[in-house]
Amino acid sequence: MVDGKGARVDAEGSPVGGWAWGLHARVRVPLDAIDLDVDWRPGSDHVAILGPSGSGKSTLLRALAGLEPRAEGRVSLGDEIWLDSDAGVNMPTWERRVGWVPQDTLLFPHLSLRENLAYAGSSPAEVEKMAESLFLSDLLDRRPRFLSGGERQRVALGRALLSAPRVLLLDEPFSALDRPLRSEVAAMVRAFARDNGTPIVLVSHDEHDAELLADERWMLVAGNLTADGA
Amino acid sequence: MGQPASADGISRTSAQETPEALVVLAAASLQDVLPVVARAWREVTGVPVRFSFAATSVLAPQIFRGAPADVFISADEVWMQWLEERGGVDGSSVRPVATNQLVFVVPTGTADPPGDPRSLAGADLAQIALAAEDTPAGRYARAALERVGAWTAVEPRVIRGGSVRGTLEWVARGESDGGIVYRTDALAEERVTVAFAFEGDDDPVPTYPGAVTARTEQPEAAGAFLDFVSGAEAMALFAASGFGPADDGTGVAQVPSLASPALDPWSAVRLSLIVALSAVLLGLVPAVAVGWLLARRDFPGKSFVSMIVMAPLVVPPVVTGFLLLTVLGRESALGGLLAAMGLPIPFTLLGATLAALVVGFPLYVMAIRAVFDTVDRRFEEVSWTLGVPKLPTFRRISLPLALPGIAAGAVLAFARSLGEFGATVVLAGNMEGQTRTIALAVYSLLESPSGQGATWTLVIASVMLSLVALLGFERLTRWQRRRIEDHHGGR
Repeated sequence: MVDGKGARVDAEGSPVGGWAWGLHARVRVPLDAIDLDVDWRPGSDHVAILGPSGSGKSTLLRALAGLEPRAEGRVSLGDEIWLDSDAGVNMPTWERRVGWVPQDTLLFPHLSLRENLAYAGSSPAEVEKMAESLFLSDLLDRRPRFLSGGERQRVALGRALLSAPRVLLLDEPFSALDRPLRSEVAAMVRAFARDNGTPIVLVSHDEHDAELLADERWMLVAGNLTADGA
Repeated sequence: MGQPASADGISRTSAQETPEALVVLAAASLQDVLPVVARAWREVTGVPVRFSFAATSVLAPQIFRGAPADVFISADEVWMQWLEERGGVDGSSVRPVATNQLVFVVPTGTADPPGDPRSLAGADLAQIALAAEDTPAGRYARAALERVGAWTAVEPRVIRGGSVRGTLEWVARGESDGGIVYRTDALAEERVTVAFAFEGDDDPVPTYPGAVTARTEQPEAAGAFLDFVSGAEAMALFAASGFGPADDGTGVAQVPSLASPALDPWSAVRLSLIVALSAVLLGLVPAVAVGWLLARRDFPGKSFVSMIVMAPLVVPPVVTGFLLLTVLGRESALGGLLAAMGLPIPFTLLGATLAALVVGFPLYVMAIRAVFDTVDRRFEEVSWTLGVPKLPTFRRISLPLALPGIAAGAVLAFARSLGEFGATVVLAGNMEGQTRTIALAVYSLLESPSGQGATWTLVIASVMLSLVALLGFERLTRWQRRRIEDHHGGR
């Protein structure tokens, strides 16, 4: 059986096989300006959600991560239910293991780069390796406040990748990187996702970022999510 | 205010339409009776009287420094003498106005109270409350006990309060098994019973001398008022309140000497530091918890909790001390339990620490709450997404990020604890080496005419400590700001 978006589903409409990850989000988050109200079942491993600012992109990521206490509905990854407000299920964020890269990086200011990267419990060798692949090796002993915006973004990305995420939630992760570096870092993230089988949800208002990372695009406008060609 | 027609000769100096009011500064223990006397005086003369009642030790220096008073009535001949020597009063006008009597009181209902001064030496009383040794009442009490040879036996059981009224309150509450106060105070309090009076021929007779001040602009009226106050009509009014006649010269003993109270300034400084540090350490976890709750959580009754925590900031410390004594005194359930566990609160170092903590707690919590308000809670969210649950996140992220601010709050609470006086004196008393902190020691020294010189050591120590604490607060606050600016800076 194949549903309207080309994904294989069983009789009840639940995803089977073919989907690497089977995310299904049917959530409603009342916001101040708009209500985010989506019923979303992406068809590819790497998806981009595009849309103007204020459309609810960041909120959707936060809802997936379990950081929106107002979220209602149902979110599942594979056969694991993260949120089912009818059944009173709400898996805490720390058990969902999402690799969240927030828009303004939120590096822990009291920790050095090394400590930020190792926060989830990585070994020093893993940290060194990650730093190298993100061109951060020389900066490891600095505090975040001595970094440029682009350096911060790479640290935030590395920190998320080192937490053994089951899905990457990237919120404008490259906005402070110049074009060449952007391609290189995007390639590195894709390689990571391929090697670890990690799906990616990218949120951006930049078409270029979507091209670099995603196989599938969605448009989020004023809280409504629609498939966007690709 | 009426317009009394002043007619008789007494008020000839103020024979205007409205006679100018006499200003009388008088000892606090006279505040029930003197207004009654003044009403009688005004009926006769038409001259109104305005009073200011306070401890004699407060009033005498006020007059010396030029307070606009016409008459001074002291609870103590020593302070009157002090003022006379400095030209504050007209020496020729000094005369006794009334006398009082020392009595031993026990809580009403006490079985088998001691019957005379000598029996105090052997009596089975765990604690005996006396006023501070530099107040007249405290000195009279000691002199009386020394006279009968009971002082050495009683001294280890003495707890020292501030004023006579405070001493009386301790006995009334049963915090102390007995105490020595003035008869007039004892009569006004039904929770105590007079066990015996110090009425022997050699016993000191507390005397209230009055005088016309040197600066008065109406010396005749002031003198006439003094005449009236020590006259027959007033004496009857005094007697009705339990005071003795002014001319009872027989027993007027020498007021016990004012050898400066045995007071080691460094003991007070050390004690202050111990009390303030213990208060800050004891309060750390509660202050962080409450500060965090108020900053980060919404729960029913939040504003009530906030109000209760902040209350000591605006409630007079003396009131706070009174409430603490009510909750933690030996007669209360909680206080009884603590005492049974070997942690008695009243008159102990622990009591002084608790008083300091409660009064400093609002500042502690306020500083910490403000810090948690400013630390971006999304740092905590990031930590959760990295697989670290709430409690470890609090330990690894929230706490270190707020650390300088928490330290600043601690320093602020420390500084406030150093200055704590009102709640401490009520809950913990004023006991050398045990609860007499800097503020209490300064107060005690100021109470005593001969103590003013030694005060400076303490004043300087106190000011220095406070300034150092505030400097620390300032630096920690700056450090905190830098710490949170980190993440805003780079974008």
